Amino acid sequence: MSLSYKPIQPLLQTSGKSSSRWFSYIGLGVGVLLLLCSVQMFVNIQKLLKEGSIRKDGHDYVSITKIITNETMGQPEKNLFHEPDIEDVKKQPFIEGVSPLISNDFRVKLSAGNMLPFSTDMFLESLDNAFIDTIPPNFQWQPGQQEIPLILSSDFLEIYNVFAPGQGLPQVSKETAMGIPVQITCYGRAFEENQFSGRIVAFSDRVNSVLVPKSFLLWANEQFGNKTTLQASRLFLKLKDANDPQLIQYLDAKGYKINRDKTLLGRNKIILQAIFSGLGVFGILVVILALMLFSFYLQLVIARSKESLQLLLTLGYSPRWLSKNVSGKFIPVYVFIVLAALGCTQIIQWAFHRFVMFGRPELSSFVHWLVLLIAVSLIALSATVNYRMVKGLLNKLY
Amino acid sequence: MQLTLKNILPTYFEQGRKQNSGIWGKDLHFSNGDLIKIVAPSGTGKTSLIHFLYRMRIDFEGSIFYDNKSLKHFSNEEIANLRRNQLSVVLQDMRLFGEQTLFQNLEIKRQLNPFHPPEKIAEMAERLGIATRLNAPAKNCSYGEQQRAVIIRALLQPFDFLLMDEPFSHLDEANARKAMELIMEEVQLRRAGVIFAELERVDFFPATQFIHL
Repeated sequence: MSLSYKPIQPLLQTSGKSSSRWFSYIGLGVGVLLLLCSVQMFVNIQKLLKEGSIRKDGHDYVSITKIITNETMGQPEKNLFHEPDIEDVKKQPFIEGVSPLISNDFRVKLSAGNMLPFSTDMFLESLDNAFIDTIPPNFQWQPGQQEIPLILSSDFLEIYNVFAPGQGLPQVSKETAMGIPVQITCYGRAFEENQFSGRIVAFSDRVNSVLVPKSFLLWANEQFGNKTTLQASRLFLKLKDANDPQLIQYLDAKGYKINRDKTLLGRNKIILQAIFSGLGVFGILVVILALMLFSFYLQLVIARSKESLQLLLTLGYSPRWLSKNVSGKFIPVYVFIVLAALGCTQIIQWAFHRFVMFGRPELSSFVHWLVLLIAVSLIALSATVNYRMVKGLLNKLY
Repeated sequence: MQLTLKNILPTYFEQGRKQNSGIWGKDLHFSNGDLIKIVAPSGTGKTSLIHFLYRMRIDFEGSIFYDNKSLKHFSNEEIANLRRNQLSVVLQDMRLFGEQTLFQNLEIKRQLNPFHPPEKIAEMAERLGIATRLNAPAKNCSYGEQQRAVIIRALLQPFDFLLMDEPFSHLDEANARKAMELIMEEVQLRRAGVIFAELERVDFFPATQFIHL
């Protein structure tokens, strides 16, 4: 049907002063801009804080120690966590999981072999794998295995790189450090030397330690150590919220100290994401309000043009065709508004990348594809909503 | 196309009306080529009947079938199709777009399903004597002029049945005859049927059947 809408258009009273139409256009523009910017910022935060995230599966991971006071100094049994302490911590409802940091019960020396003239007495610790943020598949050890995989705290490498130049040692990158084979010497009960080779397989932002597979440390403590009961100087906790007041009260009462600084980054990320989620939700609300306002305007147009539309239907015009054309008339306006908001988002993203983030490589100067997808979906959504509403109103005219 | 009426009566009429009527409460069957003249004094439901047949109103009991499909079961889209392709109407109250010219009014109908080229509008207007009024807004035209435009409008589309409700109420006999002549030419061109409701007998309509409402 090569039907022309041109002779029909003057029958619809769309002109007239209609402030609700203009308010809805402005509202739609502002709402879409808010929504698109929020999504873009959300994506930016994800990209920027991907590396440093302490939270895993939506939980906080913190370590606690007993507070060492002048009274308890020199009494390891008072400064270590014993089995009953650990059981008590496990019982607390606000603590999702506990893993003691088991440390070596024998002397350990670490040297960098022939490559770096560097040697130091060391400590080794181990933790349940679920509590470690970066676990490569080769972080495993079986009895008889000569090579021990190590997970090193990122902070330790940073400290090394700070003092290395003063000691005449070369500074190393993470990648190089992972390539350097290290000698691990464990001293047994009779001070006999047991040689192992070690290799750094990952760096952890969460655990301030030198981690080895738990299977190795349990085996080595049994082989070389003296104690038989489990003791740990640190406990790793898996928490829903590190700021839970109940938790703080419990730790204060017990005289435990929480290592908090590591949760800050994760917490900032959550706060930033919450702010932009809030802004995004606000944007969606404004878009919905604008669409509703526009629907009132459309209802007004149809009410004012009721007689003409009724006559067109009487003459045999299809309600589907009329709805498509009446609502379709506003699509170019919608496309323009959404594209304008998209353009603004693009400018904001470019400026953010260039002037606030100084061109950080994790970010792009262009909007994320998700933002484009949302823009296209919004056009489709508004067109569909208007079409369905007009069709509903026209069907009532029969 | 087959048009069947089964025992219809406006819901606002009392049952007694069925006794003396040739339409209310009766079973009737019409098809292409039938020229039905319905003679009905005022208040007997002439306009109601035309509105029921064109499905502008559905407040009647009984059933109306087009090709064995009950009119009450037509979707709005199917109604639009019916009005565009098979059913044309001349309504007593005319219904033109007041702000549009007569030509624009006719073109809006013609483009919907063109049976004739646009030139035919001027030709028909010429025959009915309103050619000079084609560019005048409908609201500025006399009832007589509007009525002739409405007749032309009904003849610009294809149809199997033409429904007419007092189509000549504002015309003198000479103009009415001219209009009837044009209508009959167009009806024969389409081998269509006519349902023509009028207050009294009009002797220049070659009816095949008279029914008193």
